Amino acid sequence: MENTILDVRNLQVTFDTYGGSVKAVRGLDFSLRKGETLAIVGESGSGKSVTTKALMGLIPKPAGKIPKGEILFEGRDLAKLSDKQMQKIRGKEISMIFQDPMTSLNPTMKIGKQIMEGLILHQKLSQSHAKTRAIELLELVGIPEPKSRINQYPHQFSGGMRQRVVIAIALACNPKILIADEPTTALDVTIQAQILELMKDIQKKMDTSIIFITHDLGVVANVADRVAVMYAGKIVEIGTVDDVFYNPKHPYTWGLLGSMPTVDNKEEKLIAIPGTPPDLIHPPQGDAFAVRNEYVMQIDLEEEPPLFKVSDSHYAATWLLHEDAPEVEPPAAVKERMKGITSNHTSVREDYHS
Amino acid sequence: MSKDKILEVKELKQYFHTKKEVIKAVDGISFDIYRGETFGLVGGESGCGKSTTGRTIIRLYDATSGEVKFNGIDVHDKKSKKNLKQFNRQMQMIFQDPYASLNPRMTVREIIAEGIDIHGLIKNEKEKTERVQQLLETVGLNKEHASRYPHEFSGGQRQRIGIARALAVDPEFIIADEPISALDVSIQAQVVNLMKELQEKHGLTYLFIAHDLSMVKYISDRIAVMYFGKIVELADSDELYNNPLHPYTKSLLSAIPLPDPDFERDRTRTIYDPSKHDSVNAEFREVTPGHWVFCTEGEFKNFKLAKAKA
Repeated sequence: MENTILDVRNLQVTFDTYGGSVKAVRGLDFSLRKGETLAIVGESGSGKSVTTKALMGLIPKPAGKIPKGEILFEGRDLAKLSDKQMQKIRGKEISMIFQDPMTSLNPTMKIGKQIMEGLILHQKLSQSHAKTRAIELLELVGIPEPKSRINQYPHQFSGGMRQRVVIAIALACNPKILIADEPTTALDVTIQAQILELMKDIQKKMDTSIIFITHDLGVVANVADRVAVMYAGKIVEIGTVDDVFYNPKHPYTWGLLGSMPTVDNKEEKLIAIPGTPPDLIHPPQGDAFAVRNEYVMQIDLEEEPPLFKVSDSHYAATWLLHEDAPEVEPPAAVKERMKGITSNHTSVREDYHS
Repeated sequence: MSKDKILEVKELKQYFHTKKEVIKAVDGISFDIYRGETFGLVGGESGCGKSTTGRTIIRLYDATSGEVKFNGIDVHDKKSKKNLKQFNRQMQMIFQDPYASLNPRMTVREIIAEGIDIHGLIKNEKEKTERVQQLLETVGLNKEHASRYPHEFSGGQRQRIGIARALAVDPEFIIADEPISALDVSIQAQVVNLMKELQEKHGLTYLFIAHDLSMVKYISDRIAVMYFGKIVELADSDELYNNPLHPYTKSLLSAIPLPDPDFERDRTRTIYDPSKHDSVNAEFREVTPGHWVFCTEGEFKNFKLAKAKA
């Protein structure tokens, strides 16, 4: 496809444990276009974080393996690169923002130095050039008085400011792809909003492609162009943000959407998805979601559904989309949600006037 | 709802002294919680004092000043061993992190039965086993789980164990400090549904502390918004959501991402600038019945006027 910067094909990741081999990612196909934000959502254990680790070449060896699949980035298969070759890409072409800014920064190193590290290593800048660039980067991510701040340590920054530093480090070498793994989960709502705005701003300026991992559907609606919903190591639904929020097809996506309260559904029960995700040492036969699916059919227990095409941009892996399947409607609360909440949510927009 | 007060908090202050400064984590807050309701306490920033408030109410901290009355009795008064025990039984807590709040070396049975033993609620082993099994079933686990250790459970299941532990001593009032923040969305809904069910069945009263306003609105009857140690606004949850008055509440509401792409595309965020208004002369004032705002006399008049027009 035109403008595709990353193409993941049939990616599989396994981990050897005493209990057996965990099939964490079980055949993943997606592509990332230049300048777009692809959100990957799913619950813990769905394989979203493992996927990003595979892209970064950070799967711990020897327990972790990529037995099959390709990660094509600018014509090269990242899954086949050696550690040394990968080091040249990591932090330079593809970089990452981690969830917890407390643990992803080195507490004993001044933050200026932490930003300069990558610049000196990858871009071969001199000390003084790297320092100038570090100050520019801190300015870019909205840290006041960057000249004095570069000589401070992480503990002297608040949580939101630390995450800005982490973003500055990730952006240092103008990466083509930025992977953000729950970058705002540890932050407060107001700070989260600032960081999301900052990321969108920077993306506009630099035309970076972003893979955004999160389980917060509100955040997804805010940042994403396209959304991939993962379950048990597979993509079960993928489409534009409008496809997935306004025309969801997979019962798991329905469950996710229904489990968030809407503004007016106080009296109703939330639609909880019953049960827990399957054991990926022995993935179930057929559709992995079948046992938690209230729309389950016989075939779900026998055969795995392929990705059915809904439209050119929208695919979902559920037998419900097969032509022989009965017509089913999503739960009422989800249909309500699909209509959008804009209409009954005016108060939030009113400006404060005193 | 009956207006029987189970908890009264008056001018509560909780200061922490460090070498350099005094941190005013809770700075003179007052509110009542009625029996059978869910009272939501939210704040946007960490460090706004919402967790400290919960911990002071349950006597984990000694209050700097002010008063907390539970069933009419001062919580922070000196108590005889017997009275303290009774207090501890009536008020229980559910913690945020289901990984840190369960002892990894105790079985689920030991964890749940600990309170039962301390309070001597059941003496005979057979009945205790039955009670533990019954509690596990109440929270949606099964009796085989009793002999397992916390590491064998997922986050949502652990939170259920924490809830079973809190319920074991038949409390009247439960403080839930961010009970769902560490859980996945689908599991959050399970735990919230469970809490609502238990409330109906056992007539519990909750203080629900959280930063996720949409979930708080869903579960709470009334909500108080905290900002740097102070409650800036308190109202029925629908009223607070539909007619926020304090600029901080507005900014907080405008920052919550909602799962609707169209709405998100033209979201305008209101930024709160505390320097824009006078917080020194501000007081907690009741604008309409039950809707309290921390404001100055002038702001109060404006709010009243705006309300009268609406």
